[in-house]
Formats: sequence, structure tokens, C-alpha cells
Amino acid sequence: MSSHREAPEISKDPVADNTDVYAFVSPDNPNTVTLIANYIPLEGPAGGPNFYEFGDDVLYEIHIDNDGDGIADITYQFRFQTTLQNPDTFLYNTGPISSLTDPNWNKRQLYSVTRVKNGHETVLAENLASPPCNIGPFSTPDYATPAEDAIHVLPSGETVFAGQRAEGFYVDLGAFFDLLDLRPFQNLHINPMEAAPGVNATNRLNVHTMAIQLPKSMLTHDGSNPTDPTDPRSVIGVYASASRQKARILGPNADIDEYGPWVQVSRLGDPLFNEVIIPLGLKDFWNSQSPQGDKQFLKYVQNPEVPQRLVELYPGVFPNLAAYSKPRADLVAILLTGLPAGVIAGFQNSAGQTLADLVRLNMAIPPTTTPNIFGILGGDLAGFPNGRRVIDDVFTIEVRALAGATIPLVDPSFTPDAAADQVTDGLTPSDISSPFLPNFPYLGVPYDGFDNPSS
Amino acid sequence: MKKLTRRSFLQQTPISAAAVSLLPVVPALAAVRHSPEAVAPQSSAKSTGSMVVHINNVATGEMTLLVGARQIVLHDPRIIACFIEATREGGWA
Repeated sequence: MSSHREAPEISKDPVADNTDVYAFVSPDNPNTVTLIANYIPLEGPAGGPNFYEFGDDVLYEIHIDNDGDGIADITYQFRFQTTLQNPDTFLYNTGPISSLTDPNWNKRQLYSVTRVKNGHETVLAENLASPPCNIGPFSTPDYATPAEDAIHVLPSGETVFAGQRAEGFYVDLGAFFDLLDLRPFQNLHINPMEAAPGVNATNRLNVHTMAIQLPKSMLTHDGSNPTDPTDPRSVIGVYASASRQKARILGPNADIDEYGPWVQVSRLGDPLFNEVIIPLGLKDFWNSQSPQGDKQFLKYVQNPEVPQRLVELYPGVFPNLAAYSKPRADLVAILLTGLPAGVIAGFQNSAGQTLADLVRLNMAIPPTTTPNIFGILGGDLAGFPNGRRVIDDVFTIEVRALAGATIPLVDPSFTPDAAADQVTDGLTPSDISSPFLPNFPYLGVPYDGFDNPSS
Repeated sequence: MKKLTRRSFLQQTPISAAAVSLLPVVPALAAVRHSPEAVAPQSSAKSTGSMVVHINNVATGEMTLLVGARQIVLHDPRIIACFIEATREGGWA
């Protein structure tokens, strides 16, 4: 979760496994939007000597639809190249790494950024440096310095970062995948135990992040600066993907050649979509498809499995949900079309009727200084499902929505069960040991391998 | 995806020595190269580099050439017949 190891095939290819996508108006720079795509799930910080890195053979992309048809109008491509300074040592570094050019740093990654806009490709930058992984106090004694130096301002107006970060998605994986246990409510589970606090299964783990911050006007289809929340031009849809070339030939001397066009092997828009909406037999197929074709998955959104399981596994807790038999139009709006005008006063994030799994952001909604981690469910229009901020408790928001809390948005005759507004895995951002940053790239300093895990 | 005839394929997509090394049908392809239709200039062959051929459908003769970041689909039952022959014990390979 939210898309970590979510499908059978991509779970065997972590370098290409898209784990989270964020899109939000930058709180410290509200004329800009920040887009973040994370890859490589559940990185153990001590995983040397070959510490985690992006794939040189993977095409990473962040896509933006700005006219509501579910098709990318702007795509940012990231391509990596790994360089080895000294092939005669087994070490990642042979002394402290104090800068991005430190000769002690043996294995480095450089990358290029290409913008594809309306089919026209422009290479924006080449040979940008990624920061090192956070190794430990002897190897990366002042990690913040090279990491900050790895924030690059491009002449074209974007600011980019690509490198290791602390995992920011907080979730009680161990409980939820144990038959949808929610520890704070497990006294109500069909196998009851005493209620307990949640456990953040992703704490003290890292991911690899691609982040880009750019003026809002570079994202609208007509170059306008979005200020009117009711204007469909204020809405963008975002997803990320990873692709590999079609054929791979393994040579006799550890040489590898790859051939053919790029084939999408991972994609991600809304958190948990492929994870819990799409059934196991279709997850790999879903990863291969583009969002504009998501109508083919409509029935899984209209009739998701999670509510049925909640009714089964929490007997008597969700009687109104159990009796509700209509297709879930609320989930279709949240996940596939965006919320149309008139559902929530002063808000919409739907630029069209195309059914497509995208993180939809109304860029005219300003950031708030007092964000609510439950986003729109908590009365905060700047949070999920209006885009997604790093702090948003997307697990709880989506579980509550699946439990029926959002049905009244489209069906006022329905009364949610009392539990629908209360279910949670019991976690907050305070359950992340490396806190979020107040500015770009917002995700916390990655955990080092010396101290994590610790005795 | 560009569709080609056998003639245009052999004229536009030269099969280099490196490409042959990826295929288990050297005599068969050598025979093709020596046919009147196979008039690939060697300079182009060097710039093309190696390639992979994927036979999509033996029955229809459809195959895909993967070269660089491109794919080219063509139909030629005769070439596929050569490939099949090469896979048989005592065949070309």
C-alpha cells in the first residue's frame, strides 16, 4: 500500500514499482504545484553494499491531463545512468561523502528530465545528480548537505529532485492484511481481541522519490493561472508510470541488451486503487493499461470488495452498509471522474466525464495553514481527494469512504453506520520517525542504515 | 506500428552479423540474404545493430522485429517456415 507490491508481477520488480503519487499546491510556494512519484517499496536502510537506486533500464514518467479526457497532455520523463568510480572495491563509498562530487562516493546516479507536451519532446536537463543513499554516520555524516544540493532548478522553470527519501505513507499493513484487522477496532472483529493502537509498518523504511515543482500556469492547457475553483481549467489529473523495453537478452558475460518500444509495467493514480479495488487476477493487466481506458474497471469501483468484507468481518457493525445495494456512485466520483460541482459547496475537481483513475487536483483551492489529515472528509478542501498531500491519511479516508461515509454525497437517503466515520488504522504523521519537511521535496530525510534497524 | 511487406522489410531493415548472432537460424537467414530480394547495404546494417525477432503467430506468419526502441511488424510465412525447420532435430541449426 498504497501501491507497494500491489500486483503479482510488479511485486517482483521493485525498481519499477510505483508506490505513491502526490499532487498538491505547494504550501510554502502557493503559485506552484508539487508532483511526487515514489518507487521501490519498503527499502530497508541497511540494504548494502548495493544500496537502492533507480533503474537505468526503466523509463519513469509523471503524466498530467489538463483537459479532462484522461489522456496525458504533459509528461515528465526521468532517465537514469549509473556510474562507478572504482570497480575494484566492494564498497558504495570508500570514505565520508560530503558532496555530490566527493571522490569517496563510488556508485552514483545521474539523470535527465524530458518534457513531452502535446507530443513534442524537449530535453530540459541532463546529468543532474541524485544524492547518495543515507548510509550511516561514518559514510554520510552530514546527509542534508548533498541532499539539498541535489535539488535542481531548471532553466525551463521547474525544480526537480530524484533520490532516496523517508517513506511518508503511514499504514498498518500487518493488521489490515490480516483479514482487514483495524487494531483500534479489533474488539469488534469476527476474531475479537482487545483494541490496540496502530502500528506503522512503513516506519523507518525508505523509498526513491522523483519530485517536481512548477508554476501552476505551466500545467493548465491554456497557460492561465488558476484562481477560480469553479473553472474546469483549474483541474488537473495526475498519474505516474514505469516502463521497460519489450525484450531483454541475457548475454554470456553478465551483459544485458534490451530491445523494442517501452511497455508500461506499473502505474499509479489514486492510492489503493489497484491495491484493493482491482481483483488479483486483473492487477497486472491494470498496470499495463492507460487511465483513459478505465471504464473497463468501472464495475469494480461500483461494487468493491472491501465493503462486503467489512460487513462479514465486523458482524453487526455495518448494518446500513450491508443493506445498501446500489452501485457506489460516490466512489466513482472520488476515484474515476472527480467530484462534480454541487456535491460539496464551493468545490469541484472534475474536468470531464471520462472515467480515469487520476489524482485530481483543483489548483485554485489554496493551501491551508491548518491542514486536516482527513482532507475533504475533515472539511479541508486542500486535501485528498483534492490532490494528495504528504500528510493526508489516505488509508483512513478511503476505508471510511468504502465503509459508506461518502455515500450521502450522492445519495442523501443513505445514513452511514456510526462506525463509518470512525474506522481507522489509528495512525497519524506522528507515527513517522523522520518528519515531513516544510519545503521541497517535503518527504523526510531518509533513514540511515547504521541506526535502522537498531537494537 | 509500421506494417511492411517481406520485400520492403528486407530492403529497409538490414540484418547485421550481430543480429544473426541472436537467431538460431543462420543458414536460413543467410539464404534469405543471398536471395535477389535481400539487397541490404552493409553500411546500414552496421548502424542498425542487433535486433530481436519475435514470432507472434506461426499460422499467419506474423512476426515483430525489435530494434532499438522500435518495433516493426511484418508477415512472411516463408521465413517462419525456415525458423521452424531450424528448430527440428537435424534441421538447419
